[in-house]
Amino acid sequence: MAWKKACSVNDVAVDTLRKFDVGGVGVLVANLGDEFKAYPPACPHMEEPLEQSGVCSGGLLTCTKHLWQWDMRTGEQRAPAEKPLLMYDVRLDGDDVMVNVEHELEYEYEEEDDDDFEW
Amino acid sequence: MKITVRTKHQNYTVACNEGERILYAALRSGAPLPYECATGTCGTCKARARPGDVRSHWQSAPGSSYLKPERGEFLMCQSTAHADCEILVPGKPAAEVAGGLLPEYLKGALCDLRMLTHDVAAFDVKLDGTMAFRAGQFVAVRTAGLEGYRAYSMVNHDERTDRLSFVVKRLPGGGFSNWLFDGSPQNQPLEVFGPLGRATYDPSEGKDILCIAGGSGIAGIMSILAHSTRAGHFEQHRGRVFFGVRGMRDVFFHEELSDFVTRAGGNLEVTIALSDEEVPASAQSDYPRLGFATGMVHLVTSERMSDQYGDAVAFVAGPPPMVDGTLRVLIVEGRLPASSIRYDKFG
Repeated sequence: MAWKKACSVNDVAVDTLRKFDVGGVGVLVANLGDEFKAYPPACPHMEEPLEQSGVCSGGLLTCTKHLWQWDMRTGEQRAPAEKPLLMYDVRLDGDDVMVNVEHELEYEYEEEDDDDFEW
Repeated sequence: MKITVRTKHQNYTVACNEGERILYAALRSGAPLPYECATGTCGTCKARARPGDVRSHWQSAPGSSYLKPERGEFLMCQSTAHADCEILVPGKPAAEVAGGLLPEYLKGALCDLRMLTHDVAAFDVKLDGTMAFRAGQFVAVRTAGLEGYRAYSMVNHDERTDRLSFVVKRLPGGGFSNWLFDGSPQNQPLEVFGPLGRATYDPSEGKDILCIAGGSGIAGIMSILAHSTRAGHFEQHRGRVFFGVRGMRDVFFHEELSDFVTRAGGNLEVTIALSDEEVPASAQSDYPRLGFATGMVHLVTSERMSDQYGDAVAFVAGPPPMVDGTLRVLIVEGRLPASSIRYDKFG
């Protein structure tokens, strides 16, 4: 396991997102009020920087580029989004928000997972 | 030539003319491929081709910042093919091409060019044929001698018309802008491709409408007001319009907006937001049917709307920072679902 401190609980206001460098990996930390979550920093659609394009409201994250939306607790997509959010495990250690960044999570923008789609 | 478009969900075979933009060929043949601006700005229509199969006509298009050229990615709206080829389009095709109407090429001539403010002009295009479009849609416009298409939203609305009206803001150094403002464009031939865009108004939705525009973004909103007024929308539902400009000298369409307010019989409010100056004392007496406020248009919207969003459908049009700021307000404060928010960002 590679638990590392991303930030302090006071670094991210409720219903906002902030990007932190966690041992060289960019991680987006969200404060849902009763829970912290951590995601890769780019939108799974067109790699828009979610720290700037993302809006949190009512437990939903919306990217203002194309209004892709996700449930912030589960990462599940809501229409019109076509891909879920990836998430890092998060735990609190006192006032520290700890994120498990064993591997950097990245989206498959090039569809390489799909043999059918590759030439 | 023939282009085979492969998506994860479906394949399309598209007949494409020599020199024709691949996106336009696909859309007019009914392939509902992803796109937004259709003119190189947003990057939404990116696709992949084998090396050498397609040629980009605008390498430095703003939307190319979304591309990985080493993977053969290109913008369909800016590229042509010269032989049969196959392309891959990521993402899901839309439910329909553009408001259910297939776009086509039409020729026409520019007429009735007139200045609305010191740097905004209006013009009409008299088409050789007719076009049906939904309120809120746009066309891509091209003139002889200028490379590439520009996107302009229609100001007017009729179910089918041979005349399209537009507004344009003067952009120093802009090719089309120079041609329009400094040349002799009257009666010059134009080609339009459209209708385009999915940010459309549909009276049968039967909901209140909230329209927020920055500068010439008011164009599509005027079309929506024309259609909604004609459809009797304001007999049953409310409408609110927030129109952002810098100062009083930048306001246009006051008479048309005042007229819509009158015809809506109390169910339409129009507020002009002045970002760079205080509201002069004369504004209210000069334009008694319009409201005025000082501030950025998304902040004025936030303040005036407060908790009155209900289940309105929102239309947003303007420069990208203005649209993004407004989308935040609609999502966070208005709690509007994505399906009730329609926007046009133009750079």
